[in-house]
Amino acid sequence: MSWANVKLIFMRETRDQLRDRRTLFTIAIMPLLLYPLMGMAMLQMAQFTREHPTRIWLIGADSLPESPALIVDRQLDPKWVGKERGDLLELVFSKEGDRKFHELLDTFREKQSVEGSADLVNQLVDRQMKSRGIDLAVVITPKQISTDGKAIDGHSINMFHNSANDKSKIAADRLYRILNNWKAAVGDQRLKERNISPSVVHSISIRAADVAAKSKKQAATWSKILPFIVIIWSLTGAFYPAIDLCAGEKERGTFETLLSSPAGRNDIAIGKLLTVMSFSMVTSLLNLLSMAFTGLFVMSRLGGVMGVSSAAIGAPPASALLWLMLALIPISALFSAVALAAAAFARSSKEGQYYLIPLMMISMPLMMVPMLPASQLDFGTSLIPVSGLMLLLRGLIEGQYREVLPYLAPVSMVTLTCCYLAIRWVVYQFNSESVLFRASEKFGVGTWVQHVMRERESLPTVGSACLLGLLILVLQFFIRLAVQSQLPTTWFDIVKITLIVLISTTAVPAILMAMITTRNPLGSLRLRLCSVPTGCAAVLAAICLHPMVTWFTALVMYIYPPASDLGHMGAYMNNLIDQAPGLWAIILVIAVSPAIFEELAYRGFVLSGLEGMRNKWQAILLTSLFFGLAHAAIQQSIVTFLVGAILGVIAVETKSLIPCMLYHATHNSITVLLSRVDTSVVEGSPVLPWLLYSSDGTAYQYSTLAGVIMTIAGVALLAWFFRNPAVGSDQTSDSPIPNLQPAARARA
Amino acid sequence: MIHVRNLTKRYNELSSDGFLALAGISFDAMPGQIYGLLGPNGAGKTTALRILSTVLKPTGGTAIVNGFEVSKTPEQVRRQIGFVSTNTAIYDRMTAWEMVQFFGGLYQMDPEILQIRMENLFSKFQMNDIRNMLCSKMSTGMKQKVSIARAIIHDPPVLIFDEATSGLDILVAREVLGTVEQLTDQGKCVIFSSHIMSEVRRLCDRIAIMNHGKILAEGTIDELINAFEEPDIEELFYRLISDSEQSLQIQQSTS
Repeated sequence: MSWANVKLIFMRETRDQLRDRRTLFTIAIMPLLLYPLMGMAMLQMAQFTREHPTRIWLIGADSLPESPALIVDRQLDPKWVGKERGDLLELVFSKEGDRKFHELLDTFREKQSVEGSADLVNQLVDRQMKSRGIDLAVVITPKQISTDGKAIDGHSINMFHNSANDKSKIAADRLYRILNNWKAAVGDQRLKERNISPSVVHSISIRAADVAAKSKKQAATWSKILPFIVIIWSLTGAFYPAIDLCAGEKERGTFETLLSSPAGRNDIAIGKLLTVMSFSMVTSLLNLLSMAFTGLFVMSRLGGVMGVSSAAIGAPPASALLWLMLALIPISALFSAVALAAAAFARSSKEGQYYLIPLMMISMPLMMVPMLPASQLDFGTSLIPVSGLMLLLRGLIEGQYREVLPYLAPVSMVTLTCCYLAIRWVVYQFNSESVLFRASEKFGVGTWVQHVMRERESLPTVGSACLLGLLILVLQFFIRLAVQSQLPTTWFDIVKITLIVLISTTAVPAILMAMITTRNPLGSLRLRLCSVPTGCAAVLAAICLHPMVTWFTALVMYIYPPASDLGHMGAYMNNLIDQAPGLWAIILVIAVSPAIFEELAYRGFVLSGLEGMRNKWQAILLTSLFFGLAHAAIQQSIVTFLVGAILGVIAVETKSLIPCMLYHATHNSITVLLSRVDTSVVEGSPVLPWLLYSSDGTAYQYSTLAGVIMTIAGVALLAWFFRNPAVGSDQTSDSPIPNLQPAARARA
Repeated sequence: MIHVRNLTKRYNELSSDGFLALAGISFDAMPGQIYGLLGPNGAGKTTALRILSTVLKPTGGTAIVNGFEVSKTPEQVRRQIGFVSTNTAIYDRMTAWEMVQFFGGLYQMDPEILQIRMENLFSKFQMNDIRNMLCSKMSTGMKQKVSIARAIIHDPPVLIFDEATSGLDILVAREVLGTVEQLTDQGKCVIFSSHIMSEVRRLCDRIAIMNHGKILAEGTIDELINAFEEPDIEELFYRLISDSEQSLQIQQSTS
C-alpha cells in the first residue's frame, strides 16, 4: 500500500466533500444551527409550559379541627406547605346552599360502607369535578360525630384525582405531602394533650441524604447523555460521506477513473475510509460542542424563567471530553468502515441510503442498551460491541475508574476487533468486481420469482440460502409467539410444540425451497449416503467434543448469567419432561428430531448455498450464525454457534448430511443423559467414575483430565475429516451431486 | 507492446446466468500503431479494455502491456497506460488544474516535472482559460479534453480509448481524433474502440471485429476487405456481425 497515494486520495476526497453543500450542511451547518434553534424554541415554549395553579375542591373542610389548623384565611397554612409551592394550589370551598355538594357528601357518607359503591361515588365526583373545572376533589368526613355535631376520633380524608390528567396527578402529589405534614402535627398535639411525648411515637426518624458531590451529580447526568450523542452522530456523520464517496462516485462515473489510476484498491479504500472517518469525528464533535453550549445557555435561561436549577446539569467535566475524544477514534473507524462497505455495494446514492438505514436500525439497540437503568459494565456487557464502549465511557465520565478500568482490555479488544473486521470488509468490497461493477437491474418480487423458477440452478444460490436463514428466524418468531401464549402443561404438549416449531419453521421451508428453487433438491439438502467410518467418526467426534462444548457453555453462562425466570422455566420444563413414557421418548423428541430437521435446513440448504461464496470458512461461520440466531436465548445462541461451526466443518468435508445428523443427535443425547445421570448409574459403571464427578452428588460434570483427553481426541477426529475429504463420495455412484468447485456449480 | 492471448472473462461466474463477456480473444498491438476494436454494443470491447487497464481481472488467458502482465503486476501496468472511456468521468467538484494535478500525484511524478508537463498540456489543449473552472461547469468537449490531459499527464507508452468520441459534437470529436493521431506519431501504442466506421477507417492501422466476446476477424482494413471480398469496412462489419448472430441462433436452437 502506498501511503503517499492514501494521503492524496484523502486530501482529494476531503476537499471534494467540503465543496459539497449537502454534505457540508449535514456535517457542519446543521449541528451548529440545529441546537441553538432548538434552544431558542425551548425558551419560547417555556412561557407556555409554566406551572399553572391547580384547583382543589375541599368538601367538608368546616369539620376540620381548629388547632392545629390545616387552613388559615382560606389558604393552606404555610407551616404544612413546606417546600411545595402553595401559591399553585387554589382552594375551592363548597358554598352555603350548594345543593349538589351536600348531595354528593351524603351519597359518599351513605355509600362508603356499601360494597361496590366506589365506582358510583367516583363517577359522581368526576362529573362534579368536570362541571366545576376542578383538578382534585378532597372529601373530609369525621370518623364519628358527637351529639353537638363535632368530630370525634379524627377524620377520613379522601382525595379524588384523575390519573389521566397530569395537572390532577401533580395536585394530588402536592396535597398528599402537605396533608402528611399536617397529620404528623395533629398526632403530636394529641399526644401532648395526653401528656405523652411525641418522641414515643417518633422514636425512629428517617432522613435521606445525597452524599454525591455536585460535580459527581453533574458527571452522572452527562455520562448518560454524552456517549449517546457522540456515538449516534459519529454514525450519522459517516453516513452521507460514505454514500457520496462510493455510490455517488459510481453514479457520476468517476470511480472507474480512479480505479484505472496507479492507486491500488487498498489505497483507495483506506483513503476514502480516512475521509469518512474524519467527517464522522468532526460531525460528532461539532454536535457535542454545539449541544453542550446550547444546553448550558438554555438551562441558565430556563432557570430564570421556570425556576429550574442549572446547577443540576452544569458544564460537563473536562475529563469527559477527553474520554469521549479518545473513544471517538475507534467508534468512528468502526461506523465509517461499516458505512463505507455497505455504500460500496450500492449502485446509486438512493440505493446506498436503503442499505444504511438498516445499519442504523441494527446500531440503535446497541446504543440504547447502556441507557437502560439496570445496565452496568461487567465482563458480559464489555464483550458487546458499542454497548461495552458506551458503558465504559459512562464509568470513566462518572470517575469510577476502579470499577470500569478492569474492563478496558475486553472493551478495547472487542472494539478493535470490530474495527479490524469492518476495515477488512471495506478492503474486500473495494477488491471485489462483483461489488464494484454490479449490473443495474430492476428488482421486483414477480420477476424474481419468475427468474428463480425459470432458471433454477442445481444447488441453492447464496441469496436463496440467506433468504432461508432469515425466513426461519421470522417464522420461528411468529410460531413461537403463537405456541408460547399457552404454557405446556404435559409431556405431550412439549412433544407437540417441539415438533410443530421444528417442522413448520425449519424443515418444511428448507425442503420446499430445495424443491422450488433448485434442480437438485437432494443435492441441495446434502442428502447423500456416507461411509460407515465417516458416520462412526461423527458419532465419536460428538462424544469426544462434548466436554469442550459443556465447558464452553459454562463459560458463556458465567459471562452472561441467565435471568432467574429462565431458571424457573427450565425447572418447570424438566418436571414436564419427567412425565415422558421413557428415556427413549425424551431422546427421540429432544435430541433426534432437532438433529434431523435443523440439519436439513442449516447444513443442508443454507450451507450448500453459502458455499457459493467460494470461501468455505465464511460459509460455515455464516451458517453457524443463522443457526445460533435461531435459538432464542443469547447464551444458547453462542453455544449453538460453536456447535454449528463444528457441524459445518463436518458437512463441508464429508459432503453429506448424515454425519452431521449423527453428530447433532449424539451431542443432544449426551446432553440429555448427562442431565439425568445419578449416583447409582455412575457408580455402577466401570468408565463413568473416571469420566464424571459431582461436587454435590446430583449435577455431574466432566473431570478435567478426561475432558482434556476427549477434546484432543475430538480435534484429532475433526482433523481426520480434513485429511479424508469427501470420504463418503465413493459410496454411491448415483448420489445426487458431488460438492462442485464454484465455477462448476453454475454448469452442474 | 500489447500481447493478448486467449483472454477470457466471465461475469458472475458463480451463477448460472454468469455472462461470458470474452471467450478467449488474442491480438497484438505495436508501438506507433492504432489498433481498433470494433463491434456492436455488448461485443466485449469495453470488457477487453477494462482488463487491459486492470480495472477488471481476467478469468483466463494473459494480457501483457509493455512487458507487464495485467493479472500479476496490475500496478505496473497502470503506470504504462492512459485510459479514457465513456465510463471514466472527471470529478465535478475539482477544477481542471486540480484534476490533472491529482492524477499526476497518483503517478508520483516529480512536482517540478508535473508542473511543466501540466503547463505544456494546458497550452497544447488550449485549456488555460478553464484552468480554474470547476469541472461541473464545463461543456462536454471541455470535460473530454480534461479527461485526455488526465490520462496522458504521465506520458504513458500505451493509450486506451474506449469510445472516446461517443456523445461529442463533430468539432470536439475531430479534435480528439487529432490528438490520438499525434500521440501515435510520438510512438505510442493506441488501442481504440469504436463503432463509428469513419473514425476507424481514418485512424486504425489494424482492427479486430468482435461479437459475443470473440474476435471474428483481425488484420489491416485492406487485408480484411480483400479477404472477405467486401466493398468497404461497413459492409464487412455488417456481414461478419450478421453471420455471427445467425450462427449463434442456430447453436441456441440446436442445444
